[in-house]
Amino acid sequence: MEFDWSVLHDNFTYMLWGRLADGEPGGVLLTLIMAVSAGVLALVLGVAMAALAWRFGGWTRKLLFLWASFIRGIPLIFVIFWLYFLLPVVFGGSIPGPLTVIIALAWFTSAAVMHSTLAGLESLPRGQTEAGIASGMSYSQVLLNVLLPQAWPNLLPSYLGLLISLVKDTSLAFIVNVPELTTVAGQVNNRVQIYPAEIFLFVGLMYYLLCASLAYVAGKSIKRRQALRA
Amino acid sequence: MIWHPDWAGVLTGQPLQWIISGFLTTLYVSMAGSVLATLLVVLLIALRLSQSRLARGAVAAFVSVFRNTPLLVQLLFWYFAAYGALPQSWRFYIGDTHAWAVFPGNIAWLTPEFVCAAWGLGLFTAAFLVEEVQAGLNSVPKGQTEAAISQGFSRKTLLLSILLPQALTNAWQPITGQYLNLMKLSSLATGIGFSELTYQVSQIESYNAHAFEGFAVGTLLYLALGMILGGLMTVFGPKRPQQRPQAEVNDGI
Repeated sequence: MEFDWSVLHDNFTYMLWGRLADGEPGGVLLTLIMAVSAGVLALVLGVAMAALAWRFGGWTRKLLFLWASFIRGIPLIFVIFWLYFLLPVVFGGSIPGPLTVIIALAWFTSAAVMHSTLAGLESLPRGQTEAGIASGMSYSQVLLNVLLPQAWPNLLPSYLGLLISLVKDTSLAFIVNVPELTTVAGQVNNRVQIYPAEIFLFVGLMYYLLCASLAYVAGKSIKRRQALRA
Repeated sequence: MIWHPDWAGVLTGQPLQWIISGFLTTLYVSMAGSVLATLLVVLLIALRLSQSRLARGAVAAFVSVFRNTPLLVQLLFWYFAAYGALPQSWRFYIGDTHAWAVFPGNIAWLTPEFVCAAWGLGLFTAAFLVEEVQAGLNSVPKGQTEAAISQGFSRKTLLLSILLPQALTNAWQPITGQYLNLMKLSSLATGIGFSELTYQVSQIESYNAHAFEGFAVGTLLYLALGMILGGLMTVFGPKRPQQRPQAEVNDGI
């Protein structure tokens, strides 16, 4: 098999940032935008759900767990399909494709964020909460000023792991034709037809670089944590 | 909004045929992918435990590449690039119709889409499974190895009779999770035009615009399949031995 890398050279900027000059970011740039915004949303949502489960327990917790296992039980594509169908009904107008995918990814990931955060909160000694309450702090103060800062270093590696998954999951936007890296590569492949290996190896390399560097950072933060403990 | 779901538009006639065929295809491709992933994991674990640095490096590279790239991109690569690079006679053969290569429910399995989907899912899942099995192996106390060696067990018996059974028992839950993930991720094969459940459900939308009903049925089928497969793997999976009654320990003293 002979490789002809000129196809990459010709479409390099298109695959990196799409039609940014026309105000429509695409390619790697859109992948990053979607992963980061979905990550922030998922973090807020997931921590909020974990806080609810932590504070109220009982039925609230059971309902949240049921909700999380429902989200985990269906393929991510279906979450995207559902939102494509439901968001316009709820908001009464068309929602831009990238935004729909971001919300779907955030929704999907928030279940995992909730589980890790809750595990992080519950691994702290009970005395921390009790001491906070006894000192006259409210539950939200205990959570924000006592528990989360302590749990954060332990949670960071698992959050980074989820961010890696998010970067990879943005590729599902291909199914609904949002022009991130995979979709853009598919377009180039359909246009030139004869260089699929070059195109998809390049795309794979791009994702690999993004994910492997995140994994490297996550590994470092675990090591630092272990060094602190020792 | 006044809106009435119309289930008959999905659960009769052509759409029903599509859903049944899609469901069976998802089931078959998941099984094919799982078998492939299992075989690969055996090979990868064997390589990883070998003395050769080259073999261990190859496993590390495999795991790193397949875990750090999206499955969809891998599937696109296998379907467009790797499959296209096969000798033409092979492709003609696979693309042909074969009366014998049909699973019950009239699902042909020797098609480019089925082969690429099963292959891609198998390789991707193997990269995740190998880490779960490794975590299981790591969780077995060191004393088990030492005890076995002092009893004169060979390396092979040590691995097969002492370490792996305990490792699989310890890691069974995450291992089950990976197989279930394979089943759910088979939905991505819709991206290479493989007519599994997700593909068939979205086809209904363009056929008679019953998107809501179609997605609902698809969602329920994935949930049900996941619960059934998960349940089966728990029931037939390895179990921790029952706690021994305390009296037995005191017997010898």
